[in-house]
Amino acid sequence: MEALRKRFALTRAGMIESLGFRLGTFVTVLGNIIYIILVYFLWKSIYASSPNDVVGGMTFSDTMIYLVLASALFSFMEMYIVWDMSRSIQSGKIILDLLKPLPYRKYMFWSYSGNFVISFFLTFLPTFLIVFVISKGAIPIGLNLLYFVISVVLAVLINYNIDMFVATICLHTESTWGINIMKESIVMLFSGATIPLAFFPEKIAKVVAYLPFRAVYDIPLRLLLCKDGDIMKLLLIQLFWVIVLAAAGAVFWKISVRRITVNGG
Amino acid sequence: MSRLGFYIKIYLKILKQDLKSKMSYRADFVISNIGMILTNLVGFLSFIILFENFEEINGWTKYEMLFLYGFSLLALTPVQCFFDNNWNLRFAVESGDFIKYCFRPINIFFYYISEVFDVKGLGQLVFGGGTLVYAWYKVGIPVTFRNISLTCVSLFAASLFMIAVMNAAAATCFWITRSGMVMVLAFKFKDYSKYPISIFRGVFRVLFTFIIPIAYIAYYPSIVVLRPDNIPVLSWISLPLGLVFFYLSYRFWMRGARKYSGTGS
Repeated sequence: MEALRKRFALTRAGMIESLGFRLGTFVTVLGNIIYIILVYFLWKSIYASSPNDVVGGMTFSDTMIYLVLASALFSFMEMYIVWDMSRSIQSGKIILDLLKPLPYRKYMFWSYSGNFVISFFLTFLPTFLIVFVISKGAIPIGLNLLYFVISVVLAVLINYNIDMFVATICLHTESTWGINIMKESIVMLFSGATIPLAFFPEKIAKVVAYLPFRAVYDIPLRLLLCKDGDIMKLLLIQLFWVIVLAAAGAVFWKISVRRITVNGG
Repeated sequence: MSRLGFYIKIYLKILKQDLKSKMSYRADFVISNIGMILTNLVGFLSFIILFENFEEINGWTKYEMLFLYGFSLLALTPVQCFFDNNWNLRFAVESGDFIKYCFRPINIFFYYISEVFDVKGLGQLVFGGGTLVYAWYKVGIPVTFRNISLTCVSLFAASLFMIAVMNAAAATCFWITRSGMVMVLAFKFKDYSKYPISIFRGVFRVLFTFIIPIAYIAYYPSIVVLRPDNIPVLSWISLPLGLVFFYLSYRFWMRGARKYSGTGS
């Protein structure tokens, strides 16, 4: 109980902190609206030029729902761990964080957790409700919502572990920008956030199936939209990645943390 | 004229200093450029995947779209290479370091911007150039002196628009705190420039042409070479409009800089 109380204190602090940046939220929402406008017109003209209404098993409205919710999930899960960590190494603040009574990786996760809670309610939920109303029942309501919530929690954990792993690489290279942009572009493409995975050619799709990235956006959305019958299998794939990435990240962190050098401070 | 020579001489001197300090981080140079090429490669791959499913988008074939993509990457190289210091503006303003630029007998904007030359833009230059040449060859545009010089002028005009957008976005930090989100939002616009503006309808076409001028980063300037039979009037005014946008963003930036009074530290 005591351990949980400590962690939730961090969650609360994060919630209060992120509520302070209302302008940031406004700009993010504005950016999402512009992105959705672009996606709408782009895919509308793509489907208009195509002789078939259904491509790769997806209709226009399927694609729209998928991409809009993917962007909502993206802005809700987005973390700046890589940047935060490299900045706190430069300033020397990381020493204080390492001395906290909670292991560093856990401390970081719980500090971010408040931000997740707030952005879930401020960005994801409104988007979901709007999509639900506009699409008039294209999203089934039932047990799939429960699976979706479980899946999102797992996706948050996977995303966090990927980010933390990449941030740890930065301890070795001192090239934050380069490493971060590599992660961003790979995750965006292979998770299905830019083009739904249903459109991928078979050869690439086979490779993507064995990568952890689809577990971040594609699997939760599949479960929500009831696109796949095998619910347990999808959830187990996610669980598998959570465990593998967390273990790999923990080992890698342990080796790397000795390398931290802070100049002055 | 001697004044221009004076500024060029100063620019080269500052550039030399910056490159010297960058040379001590050779790993960063290599990794940043790999990251840059990788993120562009992912953009390239998205087009390939899209056109596996669809023949054309709104009357645009695969290679015409790749031409737009290559053109946009080249047009975005100057803002990446020469105007990258805009990303640090908000930190300089918040910390008070910006005051140092106010005490030099040269133009503040010039001095501030010239301080950083971003080497990772070179990766984009190479990749964009390669894509443009490949698409040029595939589309079968005649290689004439006229076409090549038109492309160069168009690229120059196109590059002014993104520079103007980023100048204006960076300058918001003189008025609001946490303007980082504004920069991130503005920088995302560049990703939208690779699509033909003809996919947008009505008010949105006006919005993306005159308010957020992403249509001018690739579509209008490149159509002069790509589809010479049917050039819209808006293409011919690319250069003067680009200069107007650049000038306005410069005035906005300078207005902020003049208002700046330091942080008192």
